[in-house]
Amino acid sequence: MPNPLSGLTPALQAICDKGKVLPATGQALIDLLGPDQDETFDRLLTDADEKKKPVEMVLEPPPWKLYHPLDHLPRPLDHVFRYFLDGSARTYFLGTVVERERSSPVQFAQVGAAAVRREADGRIAKAGAERRLILMLSQDHVSAELWAAVAAQVQAIPELTLRNSGEKDQVTDGVQVAEPRFRGAHKANWFMREVELDLGQTLLEKLPEGAWMVLDGGLGKDIIKWPRLKDWDHPPLIGVGKSFSKEPSFKVGGGPGGKILNLYELLAKLDFGCRTVAFGAEGGKKAFWYVRLRPQRELDYPLMGVIKVEMPNPRGEAVPTELIDRLSGALLAERNVTPHGRDSRWHAHLYPISVAERLVKGLFYSEEVLRAAIRWPTI
Amino acid sequence: MTSEQENRVIGRASATDRQANSSERFSFWLRPDERVNPFDIVDAEHYETSRTFGLVTNIYHTTDAASHLSNLISNDFGEAVEEPNTPRQGTNVAEVAVLSNDKDIYMPVASEARVRFADAEGIQIALGINAMKPEDRVPAGLIQLSNGSQAVAYIDRRYVLGPEAAHINISGISGLATKTSYAMFLIQSILQTMDVSKVATILLNVKFDDLLKIHLPGSLTPEELDMYQQLSLEPREFPKDKVTYLLPEGKHTASTLRPNCFGEPPPRDMTQIYAYDLRTTVGNRKLDILFSHVPDPWDTIGPLIGEITEGIAGNESKWRHIRTWGDLLTQKPLVGNGVPQKISNVAPSTVGRFLRILRRVVKTRQSGVFVDQLATRHKTIANILGKLQGGFTYVVDIAKLTDAEQTLVFGDLLRTIYDLYSEGGVASGWEEEGELPEKVIVFVDELNKYAPARGEAVRSPIAEQVLDIAERGRSFGLILFSAQQFMSAVHPRVTGNAATKVLGRTDAAELGESGYRFLDKDVKMHLTRLDQGSLILSHPIYRQPVKIRFPRPAFKQGR
Repeated sequence: MPNPLSGLTPALQAICDKGKVLPATGQALIDLLGPDQDETFDRLLTDADEKKKPVEMVLEPPPWKLYHPLDHLPRPLDHVFRYFLDGSARTYFLGTVVERERSSPVQFAQVGAAAVRREADGRIAKAGAERRLILMLSQDHVSAELWAAVAAQVQAIPELTLRNSGEKDQVTDGVQVAEPRFRGAHKANWFMREVELDLGQTLLEKLPEGAWMVLDGGLGKDIIKWPRLKDWDHPPLIGVGKSFSKEPSFKVGGGPGGKILNLYELLAKLDFGCRTVAFGAEGGKKAFWYVRLRPQRELDYPLMGVIKVEMPNPRGEAVPTELIDRLSGALLAERNVTPHGRDSRWHAHLYPISVAERLVKGLFYSEEVLRAAIRWPTI
Repeated sequence: MTSEQENRVIGRASATDRQANSSERFSFWLRPDERVNPFDIVDAEHYETSRTFGLVTNIYHTTDAASHLSNLISNDFGEAVEEPNTPRQGTNVAEVAVLSNDKDIYMPVASEARVRFADAEGIQIALGINAMKPEDRVPAGLIQLSNGSQAVAYIDRRYVLGPEAAHINISGISGLATKTSYAMFLIQSILQTMDVSKVATILLNVKFDDLLKIHLPGSLTPEELDMYQQLSLEPREFPKDKVTYLLPEGKHTASTLRPNCFGEPPPRDMTQIYAYDLRTTVGNRKLDILFSHVPDPWDTIGPLIGEITEGIAGNESKWRHIRTWGDLLTQKPLVGNGVPQKISNVAPSTVGRFLRILRRVVKTRQSGVFVDQLATRHKTIANILGKLQGGFTYVVDIAKLTDAEQTLVFGDLLRTIYDLYSEGGVASGWEEEGELPEKVIVFVDELNKYAPARGEAVRSPIAEQVLDIAERGRSFGLILFSAQQFMSAVHPRVTGNAATKVLGRTDAAELGESGYRFLDKDVKMHLTRLDQGSLILSHPIYRQPVKIRFPRPAFKQGR
């Protein structure tokens, strides 16, 4: 079998030609990220002002209740969610390029996203998938000449792009990673999110009537700004976070009887098969609420088994309680089967999302292939 | 079946880090709506546009559940029994034993190779039938795949009748005469695909009147007739003018002229009645066979039989007056004044034991086949089989005989033809009669009675005779078609020499015996639940045993 990454060699050669390379033991080393990346993104993609004060906005018509019991709404009764989207990223440290007093990590990432479609009988089919290969250098830490030489080589390979691991985005400041190598790993996740959003928008364009799409994780600030969403009162799209920020607090009730609950207090009283009232964020352009998928008694910690649901709300008006109940009831029915044993977040993981995740990981070259395929040419 | 169905891709080869494909085996996943079964033959795309054929040995279902506990948890910790919104991702994976590659490429099948059901031509390539000369092909049954594809399973005559290999052994607890039916089907298939004049067939009828009507047409179902057509065989009975039935004398045959057999005897013009008197039994040196079932650990009875045989066959004076079984049991030299006598170096106690056993066999418990004198209507086995004719089928009925009598008849038969062929017919004066048939097929059921795997009888004269045929018969043209319920009960040198083995349903305990080591463990498991009418055929040309179906023989079956 030919080397699938032979196209990378000229780019690595360009790095070697222009700078001194300190290789990572001669082979690619995987850069691991903590599993709470979703939680980090959720925290960082929430408006800074909103983080400081309790969430007051309720996006349901009165009279509302803080906790709603749900009717279990399985697929045979109402097949709500048909499309599920997830992304994945793997970053590998190849070495450090040294140019005079400057140095930059050289990293390689495989990022991708995949969506699955669920048929009426429950079977899963591929709805779309994309993989991108990214070579990362910190542009501020290499010469323009080196960058240009590498960029010229990378251009010749359609699937490969050169990206700046030092580039700023909505989360770089928030993650507060000073070490360039770890910043590269976070950047790869951001690039993954770009692929994910591209695929999500494409699918949204051709979503069949009545079908809803579920994205893994929160919607952030960018998704709710998609122009296409304005075509619906309630766009058929939700984001489901299995790890979410624990920072928000909620002001419940007005007047002297009103009180402020932190997230732990809010969720501790959320029973199995219930949801919270829908709160508003981003000036009402996003509704979010929590659903408990599994009884607390079966889990280790009260916050386990709870998902955060986010829904774009382009009109900024109250979302009908019936719709939130329907979506929540359908999510409740998604709790089985689970990826237990394969993912530590199984208690809040939607199985079709985990299938999409596996689909995208299946597009990646294995670590063994990468180790064998990526070699510094002249070291 | 349309060619589109035949060419349909049913899955793709799959190799993982834990389950690699090899030159011998590969796995493939199945598309969700596809069905395969063990013993299906599949065709995988391979290097240089070649095709690798393989036999499905097992199918398993795998999912992404990390453990059974994960599945329990996925049902609300065991409380939910409703269908989940998304069924767990799983697939059926078939394990395949490689049979052959049409360009002799035995590199492992690559992951992702497309897999289809083999078509009829593919099945024949898979089994190596395409390399057999057409004149050597013997239809041995039909292979039917789960998609409806069919092909004839040919076996190579050179490996059935010699010279390359020989003998067929059939095992199983299939019941309802499956083993006998298959042996008879195969014999008819052999006879219809070669110059019949070169073969004589000897069949032992051991149960009821199973083989006493082989000259009469039977009734076949349309499906069976269709199978005959696909096998290019004619569904016909044995030709009446070429069948001879050898039936035993019974206690009442003298008065009724009815032989001692089950059911209505065959017509008289096709029948010979055989019996055993002392003089011909001893003279033909068959007395030892009569004692095959008797343990003789100190080798005392053997010398006595030798003394008697030498005395009577040599017409020695002290034996000259011994004419009947009764004479031998009551008169000198074995008995004097009612007391056993010493003969040469044989002690009276041994003589006494010999007499007690002989009396029980030929007098008190006999079926009538032992007579004092042979009458004109009587023949001996040696008389008839000593003059074997090509194209003829001889049915020797032993169904109503006692065990000792059955052993005598079978041993007599084997020794007669073995002597006939090993001496080129000189002993029987055959050279004056014409040419011996090139091949003699002997079919016997319940072989474990005559050549058991264990016990005293392992070294009995009859067992020695069977071993001789199994090990050396091929060089003379003597071919043994044998059957029994349990292969492990038969002497391993006999089954080991049977190049072709046919297996019906077999229980798990039996399959644990060493004789079944040649079978893949998955194939063994399938043998425990094999359908009636299906058999597993292992032939030297095939790299793996295959499952076959066959039609019942076209003659009338008894009972």
